Amino acid sequence: MDNLTIAATERSPAVDFDFAAGRLSLKGESYPEDASAVFGPIFSALEAFLGSAKGRDVAFDFDLTYFNSSSAKALMNMFQMLDQAAEAGCRITVNWAYAPDDDTMKEFGEDFAEDLNHVAFNLVSVE
Amino acid sequence: MSSFNLFDAEEKSLEQAEDLRRRLEQAPEPVRDGIATLIEAYSRSVREQRRLVRVSDRLQAQLASVNQELGKRKAEAEDALETLKAAQESLVQAEKLASLGALVGGVAHEINTPVGIALSCASHLADSTASMRKLFEADDISVEDFERFMDTVKDTTGLILTNVERAAELIRSFKQVAVDRTSSERRRFDLATYIRETLASLGPHLRQAGHTVLLACPEGIVMDSYPGALSQVLGNFIMNSLVHGYDSGQTGTLSITVERDGAESVRLTYGDDGKGIPDEHLGRIFDPFFTTRRGSGGSGLGLHIVYNLVTGPLAGSVAAESPAGRGTVFTILMPLSP
Repeated sequence: MDNLTIAATERSPAVDFDFAAGRLSLKGESYPEDASAVFGPIFSALEAFLGSAKGRDVAFDFDLTYFNSSSAKALMNMFQMLDQAAEAGCRITVNWAYAPDDDTMKEFGEDFAEDLNHVAFNLVSVE
Repeated sequence: MSSFNLFDAEEKSLEQAEDLRRRLEQAPEPVRDGIATLIEAYSRSVREQRRLVRVSDRLQAQLASVNQELGKRKAEAEDALETLKAAQESLVQAEKLASLGALVGGVAHEINTPVGIALSCASHLADSTASMRKLFEADDISVEDFERFMDTVKDTTGLILTNVERAAELIRSFKQVAVDRTSSERRRFDLATYIRETLASLGPHLRQAGHTVLLACPEGIVMDSYPGALSQVLGNFIMNSLVHGYDSGQTGTLSITVERDGAESVRLTYGDDGKGIPDEHLGRIFDPFFTTRRGSGGSGLGLHIVYNLVTGPLAGSVAAESPAGRGTVFTILMPLSP
């Protein structure tokens, strides 16, 4: 299936989903006025991909410096979707990047990892 | 009592649900599965709610600290602006004093000539008188000697009188201009007379450069305003023409024309026939510190002071034009009594 690449805007993250390589990433800030406009295309592409990714290795990099409440809810939905796919047999690794001095972003990573039972979750300190 | 728990009610509901599940162990499997799914979904929802509250709290805390920072920066910027304004104000004052200094220099130069003439006449008279006294004591005065002495007395006293009167007159007008410049007091004054006095105080500068000044002002216009401000404005216009309008050695004509504008105000037009001001500078000449001569001592405050004085104490307006090849024209419209 086609890769999904969306450039970052001031209020939305860069999306780089390389489905062929099994490498997905979200990078930047996320506080869109209309969360569904930003996350809608991401979710539908992800859903289609995970439906046929059984048995594959998939790495998902999150490198977010700032997000609002809607984005947090969207992220939690995304993690649930990833955990279900992992339970169904996809080998998923999530890398949650945070700046060394950004304790809150690290704590959010830990928070989100709480509900992940089948995904391998790594907290990665990135300069 | 344990510590306050934001999610106390949700936790109690979950406990009750678990309790219900235990009591429903005998229920049919679809019912038990349904209850388990519901409990799981609710429990997840509560966890998500906790996280969202944390996210929201963090965002609000960040917003608050950004606002605080913004307030601090704003206060700093306002302080800096105040400091800058004060510095600008003191530079403007310094510039005014400097132009007063130039005025005093001009006065000294102007008075020097009549006083010098009076001095040498008095000295000559003293010498002649001493010689006469010797002749008188020797009882040796001829009619010729006496006639010569009388001629000398007549000539020297005449010269002393006219020159000292000239000096006294100069001092009177300079005194008025200088007092007005420094006191910034409001008073009634005759416009034509006052402009002439101001021009007299600038005489040395004008004569040195060889320029001609044409004044056309109807007699009898009496203003109740700030003569010091007006004198400073004219002085700055003239010095500006002298410094910027002409190349060294080039002579020109400066003109001051006053017309009544209705019963309550006058229009004063100042013009020179010098090089003029390029279009790209014309919009900025009243800005503080705008100068094309920074390197050679221009402060960039002369016309800014003009603007402040005209729009401030004189309560008028000032505009500049520089039609190509026709020098520079400043037009001031001001009330007779602001």
